[in-house]
Amino acid sequence: MVVFVARRLIVSCFVLLAATAAMFTLVAHAGDPLADLRLSTAPNRADLIAHRSEILHLDQSVPQRYAAWLGHASGCLIPGRPCDLGRTVQGQDVATLLGQAIVSTLTLVTGALVLAILLGVGAGVISALRQRTGLDYAVTFSASLFFSLPVFWVAVLLKQFLAIEANDWYADPTVGPLAAAVLSALSGLFWGAVLGGDRARRWLIRFGAASVTFGLLEYLSVTGWFARPALGPGIIAACAFGIAVGVTALVAGPNRRGVLTSALGAATAGSLAQFLVTGSLQQPTWASFPTLLLLGLSAVGVAVLLGWLLGGPDRPAAIRAAVLTALLTGLVMVIDVMLRALPGYSRLVRGRIIATAGSQTPNLDGTFWQTQLDQLTHLVLPTLAIMLISYATYSRYSRASLLDALGQDYVRTARAKGLPERTVILRHALRNALIPVTTLAAVDFGVLIGGAVITEAVFARPGMGALFIQGLLPPLDPNPIMGFFGVVAVSVVVFNLLADIAYAYLDPRIRLG
Amino acid sequence: MNDTDGPAGSTGPDGPDGPAGSTGPGQRELPVRTMSRRRLVLRRFLRHRGALLGLLLFTGTVLLAFTSIGFLGLPGWWGQPYQASGVVENGGRMTLHPFPSADLMPSFLDGDGMFVDPSTIRVGAHPFGQDDVGRDYFATTMRGAQISLTIALAVGAVSTLLGTAVGALAGYFRGWVEGTLMQVTDLFLAVPLLVVASVIGRVNDGGPLILALLLGLLTWMSMARLVRGEFLSLREKEFVEAARALGASSGRIIFRHILPNATGTIVVNATLTVALAILLETSVSYLGFGVQPPDTSLGKLISDNQNACLVRPWLFWWPGMFIVAIALSVNFIGDGLRDAFDPQQNRVRA
Amino acid sequence: MAVPREKPGPRNGPGDGGAETLLSVQDLTVRFPTADGTVDAVRGLTYTLAAHEVLGIVGESGSGKSASSLAVLGLLPPTARVAGTVTFRGRDVLGMRSGERRSLRGRRIAMIFQDPLAALNPVHTVGDQLVEAVRAHQAVSRKAARARAADMLDLVGLPRPEGSLGAYPHELSGGMRQRVLIAMAVINEPDVIIADEPTTALDVTVQAQILDTLIAVKDAVAAAIVLITHDLGVIAGMADRVLVMYAGRAVETGGTARVFASPRMPYTVGLLGSVPTPDSAGGQLWPIPGAPPSLIDLPEGCPFSPRCPLAADRCRQEEPRLVPADGRGHHVACHRWAEVAGRDVSADLFRGLRPGPTGGPG
Repeated sequence: MVVFVARRLIVSCFVLLAATAAMFTLVAHAGDPLADLRLSTAPNRADLIAHRSEILHLDQSVPQRYAAWLGHASGCLIPGRPCDLGRTVQGQDVATLLGQAIVSTLTLVTGALVLAILLGVGAGVISALRQRTGLDYAVTFSASLFFSLPVFWVAVLLKQFLAIEANDWYADPTVGPLAAAVLSALSGLFWGAVLGGDRARRWLIRFGAASVTFGLLEYLSVTGWFARPALGPGIIAACAFGIAVGVTALVAGPNRRGVLTSALGAATAGSLAQFLVTGSLQQPTWASFPTLLLLGLSAVGVAVLLGWLLGGPDRPAAIRAAVLTALLTGLVMVIDVMLRALPGYSRLVRGRIIATAGSQTPNLDGTFWQTQLDQLTHLVLPTLAIMLISYATYSRYSRASLLDALGQDYVRTARAKGLPERTVILRHALRNALIPVTTLAAVDFGVLIGGAVITEAVFARPGMGALFIQGLLPPLDPNPIMGFFGVVAVSVVVFNLLADIAYAYLDPRIRLG
Repeated sequence: MNDTDGPAGSTGPDGPDGPAGSTGPGQRELPVRTMSRRRLVLRRFLRHRGALLGLLLFTGTVLLAFTSIGFLGLPGWWGQPYQASGVVENGGRMTLHPFPSADLMPSFLDGDGMFVDPSTIRVGAHPFGQDDVGRDYFATTMRGAQISLTIALAVGAVSTLLGTAVGALAGYFRGWVEGTLMQVTDLFLAVPLLVVASVIGRVNDGGPLILALLLGLLTWMSMARLVRGEFLSLREKEFVEAARALGASSGRIIFRHILPNATGTIVVNATLTVALAILLETSVSYLGFGVQPPDTSLGKLISDNQNACLVRPWLFWWPGMFIVAIALSVNFIGDGLRDAFDPQQNRVRA
Repeated sequence: MAVPREKPGPRNGPGDGGAETLLSVQDLTVRFPTADGTVDAVRGLTYTLAAHEVLGIVGESGSGKSASSLAVLGLLPPTARVAGTVTFRGRDVLGMRSGERRSLRGRRIAMIFQDPLAALNPVHTVGDQLVEAVRAHQAVSRKAARARAADMLDLVGLPRPEGSLGAYPHELSGGMRQRVLIAMAVINEPDVIIADEPTTALDVTVQAQILDTLIAVKDAVAAAIVLITHDLGVIAGMADRVLVMYAGRAVETGGTARVFASPRMPYTVGLLGSVPTPDSAGGQLWPIPGAPPSLIDLPEGCPFSPRCPLAADRCRQEEPRLVPADGRGHHVACHRWAEVAGRDVSADLFRGLRPGPTGGPG
């Protein structure tokens, strides 16, 4: 393991060297850093040119410049050494600029990656399990469609059309009977296809799901819920118990009493704790990240204790289920608090709650939760734009991979043993099918970075991609480009290494060494 | 489940024109249906509804783009040139009205009676409208589609040739050749495509074809990996062993014995590369580093007109729809080809 | 009627009747709709299995022997169309609800597959895969199930059974993997074990050991075995009764010794003639010419007629039914079985086919 990582790191160093050298040469020939000054009519033109040539070392040859850049840039990877990525044409320090930009871009990319994996794998799995149904065709077709969509077009579409529609709707947030009927019909079709069964059962599910959706939408609409959304103690408790049952089914199986008891215990604790937590989280003095961290840690602590006490023979599984239940219940509470902050936030931004430019509203004077909400609303559209394409990759891949696994002999063996279908699919087919997804995530990271470059341009988000684009536009600004490239190349290397380690951990046939 | 495999399972790589499954002398011919691999692939492809639809859409788009305004000096049937600006009529609105006007609300429900009037279908002088300097947007879009299609196909060709060559050399010769080539492949794979493509686009000061060549140099890696995999398994096959034993040269083995059997992989992946290329070129052009004026491309059209798209949304919709139509149809063709070449294979490319 | 040469079989069990019938398959058909047409994998198969008996099912690949046993367990892909009757201890299996059928699988009827590497999940340890088999049917603690698994590995002759529980399938040899699969099949003490080509994927040297293990384990848990194979040598050494399948049907069935000694179907004659036996040592082997027919469009009449040296016009028009031949449970589906009885040496039948690319079947 250690040998493998060390060897991979050494190889990676050479890859990084070759890649940065090639890129540096390319960038050096990509344009003229002095383009604007040459056309300038300023009286001190010569001084400006001389100054910029000096900070960019334009008097040296390209290899000399690369060697110097490399020497300084390598400091960024070694702790204790100064991190110097050179200056921009305007004389700003690139490392400082990048430092601010990295967080913004990583938030965007990570959010899109996680969402794409969850939704894509989920859709792929469902469509493989319901092969040759309407749902399967819908998922497959939508994956092909999203796969063929240019990110920039989607981004402009979302920005210019969807955002305006959504904000106009929020000015008077009600759902008319026609819209509710369409949504209900879709929901009925969806649940009918997901839950499956024979013809009668499917129609029952379709009808039931459609009626519930219609009733819910109209109820929420009439009571003005959309204008003042909140979950409330009842819903939170219901979610908590639902989560407990779901997590148990996923972690262990429905008839493991100890696991179920522990998870239900954690759900009960969460439902009781919410009266303490949601109230205090809305107090300005308590609303902060340290509080959230503290609450999360105590939730985990309680859950571990519950799992340990109630788990019985399945103690490890019980602890896992309880912790997962506790954390997800906590997330539901945070969502509740966020929703309660929405009306106030809406007033601050004059009702335009879906933002289309930047990464936050300038000079927003809001509470902790309103600030968080503000960042989220700025993330929604760019994340959606990047996510769609990755979603298509994941859903296609996991569908094909699961179908492949379902046809394997060991799945037949598992069925021949008399295992319940749920166990056959989760423990045997899905487990094996999802191992290659780790590799896909590493490959996909580069695609997401490309998506970030485009969406940051469309939505005017100040991130690494924006730095890169700004650098490429005339006058060419080599150092931000190289800084961006360096960060991206190192992340790609790290991501690939992590994916390989994860792969070896998940698949015992692979031995690192 | 060997017992339940139909005859379709017996299409091994015997060489597309090799004598597959012939009975030896002395054995009686038995009524076992055989079909040449090429015909089988063609039949499966023609049965694939998505693939046929894709083929139809792609052919239609190509014909429309290249015949309407003419290409390489050849005249087209659309009267208006794409370069000439003109008077903006009616706010540059679309004159295309593709549907018959219809009212399906019967008169007793306060409608105008149920009628369908096909006479309202018309193309008009500027079916896609006009841009802000009065150019005919249909002609402009067709010009953009021409350039984008040409680049995508050229990128596909370059990366297919390069990828096949690298993959074939690595897979056939193994050893240090393979090590070096695959290291280079991984190096190219390690950098985000759009980032390098943007820089390359900025370096390029030639026309769209040079751009296509440069982009082709960046998109060959998945082809190389797949072809290498194919070669690694095919070179161990009996018919290659036999050819080697008979003293065939490496070149002959590669071109006559292995390459024809890797056709499926190559064709499928080449198709998918074309789909990738159209998205890549339009993205780079959208960012401003791809096709440069006076040429235009579908991506550049969107970037030129994105600020007008609230008032005149058709300037945004048409080039976008053409990109999606091309990419989608090519992807469908690729999926159909994959299913036709190898119906057992479920995997998609990573 | 020719007098059968009776010879006691190697393990002439209670197959000739008397013992309780465990499994009964009546007129089973399996069809797969495919893009190229409907594949008739099994076309009306009938057999019974008594307690403790070993029934050998033999046939070329594509004869429907695997499909029929997968149909019994309900393990065919959902596209398959299964008809007929399968009863286990008098209960109708095909009509069972899925939960009921699941409690039968692995508990009452277990299965051993051909390729032990593919049949074991590569990412779970051997122990986990055995433990889940126990816990699928019995409410026992993990610990108890693990102990049971170790006992079973010991029973099938795995060295260091405790240590092997933590091993992954790829860390074991082919023979050891097949032993693990045997242990998995018998861990719930089933009444019937269906073994689908259990030795085909193994080295020749290991095959005999695995078969010995199978017999020993069968006796330990008092199960009956349906042994599916294309290897007549395996049948001869193990089976009480044999059922020969061709193109989705039984063409000959009876006591192993009787069928081997006096086959009445030209196909069986051909099969016996194409394997080397001590008797044929030094002599010539006579393979059956041609290949099994496509199951999509079967020839008219007897499906074997295109390859059969005895085929007459009637054989090409009318498919023969399984009828008693010689008595004593020996059944055969051949219009001309009486003529086969006169010429029981395969060389006689198939020799004439060898030289010369002669036209139609002679």
